Amino acid sequence: MKEMKLFLGPQHPGMHGNASVHMFVDGDIIKRSYLLPGMLHRGFEKQMERKLWVNNISLIPRVCVPEPDINEMSFATAAEKILKLEIPERAHWIRMIILEFARISAHLMAYGGLGGPTGNYTLMYHAHVDRNYILDIFEKITGARVYHQYIVIGGVRQDLPEGIEEDIHAFLNDLESRLVEYRDLGIDNASIIKRIKDTIMLPEEVVWELGVTGIGMRSAVGKEYDVRKVVPYARYDQVEFEVPTSNYSDARARLDIKIKEVQQSINIIRQCLEKMPEGPVRVKPGRGQSMRWTVPFGYAYAPIESSRGEFGYYMVSNGGTSPWRVGVRGASYPQGLLGIEKYLPGTRIDDAALWVDTMGICSPEIDR
Amino acid sequence: MTNSINNIEFVNELVAKTTKILKQEVIDNQQVAYEINTCDVHHLLSVLKTSGWKQLSYLSAVDWPEENKFEVVYILFNWEQPVYIQVRTKIDRENPVVDTITTVFPGAKYYEREAHEFFGIAFPGNPDYMKQLILEGWDDIPPLRKDFDPSAYSAKKFPSREYPQDYSVKDPENHTREKREARKVRGNALRTGGKKQ
Repeated sequence: MKEMKLFLGPQHPGMHGNASVHMFVDGDIIKRSYLLPGMLHRGFEKQMERKLWVNNISLIPRVCVPEPDINEMSFATAAEKILKLEIPERAHWIRMIILEFARISAHLMAYGGLGGPTGNYTLMYHAHVDRNYILDIFEKITGARVYHQYIVIGGVRQDLPEGIEEDIHAFLNDLESRLVEYRDLGIDNASIIKRIKDTIMLPEEVVWELGVTGIGMRSAVGKEYDVRKVVPYARYDQVEFEVPTSNYSDARARLDIKIKEVQQSINIIRQCLEKMPEGPVRVKPGRGQSMRWTVPFGYAYAPIESSRGEFGYYMVSNGGTSPWRVGVRGASYPQGLLGIEKYLPGTRIDDAALWVDTMGICSPEIDR
Repeated sequence: MTNSINNIEFVNELVAKTTKILKQEVIDNQQVAYEINTCDVHHLLSVLKTSGWKQLSYLSAVDWPEENKFEVVYILFNWEQPVYIQVRTKIDRENPVVDTITTVFPGAKYYEREAHEFFGIAFPGNPDYMKQLILEGWDDIPPLRKDFDPSAYSAKKFPSREYPQDYSVKDPENHTREKREARKVRGNALRTGGKKQ
């Protein structure tokens, strides 16, 4: 049969964001494939060099749309490493609450995204309702629903509002009680189990070849390779949590890990609320005027564990009021570009969307 | 996982044994940086990979127009001995060429393509480093170089429109501007207690 060219995306229920997968198919088996990025390129790295350190806070959350807080955290941590700045203790704990909520929200979105390629839309609706409750909590804490601009260099923008603890506990109890239901609807659902079990495998040696991190890596290697455990930032060394792993990486195993991580994030948020001290939440970061302060000469790389893997900003300052160079290490770079080119061929057309969903590919952070 | 201070000492010894270090910097207790000669990069990365730094986290470049140099940076990570290693090397800005490291880290393929697109650095040995990746139909110098000015490019590429008729003439019935001025005067009068400023 003649080889045929087929496009998946940019608009597709199983694709997140605007990147398209070009596939050359024979029947329904993919023979060759590659990702076409660039539709969301907005020149962030160049823009960051032209803005003040403070102004960048409003720009960076746009780098990854479904999970913006990791960008703020990574940017702030990298600048604090160059500044050698100690931020207040309470700010660390508030940051952890925000980051874990962001992780739950991104995992719910990805888990619900399973509904797209498998036609199981009920799951998607349920997940998005729960994500909406998280956005409500974000709105109460930060004043914004999606782009919070809350984690800034020197701490967080403002303290938690009064009475937010009850809201958080009520939501967490609610979500925890529904996790069983999520498993039944998604990975244990008999109607889609054949689509996700034993499909789009990721062997261990491929992980090292691609440089995949995060859930993709942990599901194949079976070790607790999580940035929060291995190189703890904020106060992750003072909370107790487990890193779920597996030795057999198919779509189901990866989704299983996602749901287990939601449970761990719930535990972390509860511990944070318990252990959080009182005190200030922000310090003045640098010398100079209130906005035009400078950061001394230096290089730093700040890795953060995102829902898709190791995410980091490589930052260079030459002592000016703006960054000299900001490089974004998108967590979905290896599995998005090289993974699609090398390991999608041989699978079926409908598995491509599952790869994009379960490996967690966020096209804005590939394009920047 | 052993003590992080010991890890950094281990890395220091390993790198010093392998190659000549031009500059060394400890960023925190989980991150070190080395500046080395360009010809030693491939050898050092191979040694680090066999010693456990199996993950290439990032590859990119920094432009230093005053020194007339590009700085290529490789960030490696080892999950068993958690130290991030930044390997940096400076190359000539006029003729930026650095050998590919895809033979050591196959995952560098797309990072090198991106560095070529945004800085114009050539990576001989990488079969498709010169293919376009993100910028479609780019017709200027690579955009992340410091001498590239985005606003000048946009003025050249998208010239401002010339209108056949001047639509900016105000409607004579519309007194918004006068009202605004009057409001400002009134507000000032209230603030200063009726006195002139």
